[in-house]
Amino acid sequence: MIKTWELDPGFKHEIMKEPGGEHLTSCYQCSTCTIGCPITEIVPSYNPRKIIQMSLLGMREEVLSNPDLWICLICQTCTARCPQDVGISDLLSAIRRIAEKDEEAGKLKIESPRPLFDTAFLHTVEKYGRLYDIGLAMEYYPKREGSFVAGQKAMMKDYMAFGMRMFFKGKMGPLGGHGLLKGVLPSKIKKTDVMKKIFKWAEEKEK
Amino acid sequence: MSITKLAYYPGCPSEATALDQHISTEAVFEKLGVELVEVEDWNCCGAAEAENPMLVYALNARNLAIAERASLNIMTPCSICYYNLARTAKALKEDEKLSAEIKGIDSSLEYNGTITAKHVLDVLVNDIGMDELKSKIVKKLNIKVAPYYGCYIGRPRETAYDDPDDPVLMDKLIELMGGENVPFSQMKTLCCGGPLMMTRADIAFDMARTILDTAKSAGADCVALACPLCGMMLDAKQADIEKALNIKIEMPVVYITQLLGLALGIDASKLGLDKNAVDTKELLGKVV
Ligand code: SF4
Ligand code: SF4
Repeated sequence: MIKTWELDPGFKHEIMKEPGGEHLTSCYQCSTCTIGCPITEIVPSYNPRKIIQMSLLGMREEVLSNPDLWICLICQTCTARCPQDVGISDLLSAIRRIAEKDEEAGKLKIESPRPLFDTAFLHTVEKYGRLYDIGLAMEYYPKREGSFVAGQKAMMKDYMAFGMRMFFKGKMGPLGGHGLLKGVLPSKIKKTDVMKKIFKWAEEKEK
Repeated sequence: MSITKLAYYPGCPSEATALDQHISTEAVFEKLGVELVEVEDWNCCGAAEAENPMLVYALNARNLAIAERASLNIMTPCSICYYNLARTAKALKEDEKLSAEIKGIDSSLEYNGTITAKHVLDVLVNDIGMDELKSKIVKKLNIKVAPYYGCYIGRPRETAYDDPDDPVLMDKLIELMGGENVPFSQMKTLCCGGPLMMTRADIAFDMARTILDTAKSAGADCVALACPLCGMMLDAKQADIEKALNIKIEMPVVYITQLLGLALGIDASKLGLDKNAVDTKELLGKVV
């Protein structure tokens, strides 16, 4: 049952103010997005149409705490097929960013490691100007597992065989195609000062 | 053929996991007589991890601006880099206020909309063109190929350069090289699962497995692709998928630039064909 007294009529405007969320009210609930979604095929509960409907109704808490938000592939299949140009892929991203802001403000606990991963990824870009896989893993795994030791263990499990494979193919490590320690040391750009400015600006914009 | 020079944006995977794609792209363009000028001091495009579009626009404005100062169109071998570059170019061209604001972050981010961003596959088929490629092909690929396109080639509409449901650019190239395309339309544009690899490997593996399994039952000798993240999922992670799901796939996965390089008569070692995770030796025997 929907608790009508708990609905937040402002939620749809909150979403529509976010870049990517602008076209929320164009949705006429045809379900085309959901029928073609590859995640729905694997996880039957996954339903972008329903997330949109709940957002329109103002079910703020239910939408933002839905763990399904974090298993979208950003593959844009829904966006390409929607007859109403809702831009669902970007819209879901806008909703995720609202959830992240709520978590930062201590109002919500996100039940997915995805924001931790994205943040760790972007930290390496901010610092070096390019993705640094090892730096990413060193931040992500301990945070996801809740401790340094557990993080190292999980990282080894995921990376041991993979890392060796890349090493023997000359894609990472001392045998790397260009550079002695390719992939082991970060590839750092010269203008990291510009990266700092870019991230600072984008963060301000999100507020 | 009119293009002789392009700015080249390799993208982060080019330095490690997609070294093979990077090497083969450079070798193919050298052979075709198109000079690639690497975007000087290029930065990451933000990939799928930068969810804030403003961050994507600012990061990519810098790369576009560097290419623009050299008066060169910018080309990348990665589908996600392409999408981020192309949507930034579009947004900045259409929104003067945004463009001015981004320039305000740092003067090096000044992009005036005079150059465009393209994916390697688009440049090969549509700019260099089939006739030119045909005239330079010296070897025949006696192989059956599953052409896999993934995301961002045919969608979203604003930046697409091929059909959203049944893309054909790679199919055309494979035919031109004497290869045979296996029936693969159900899988062509399905996402590889890559964006969930580190947070929901179970889902990501399931998706990659479906693609590889379909290629296998269609009788393909290999899967051809045009994106380093797809390469990561389908090739580099294939052994992990086999282990996790307790199955055998053993499907070679190659970049379209590696196949084209072979057809152009470039030596396999210069195309990084010793670096693909799943062995490609059997494939090489079928190039005559
Ligand atoms: S396809 Fe578009 S209009 Fe139809 S339900 Fe999905 S978002 Fe709404
Ligand atoms: S972008 Fe997300 S919601 Fe849309 S089709 Fe892909 S996985 Fe489904």
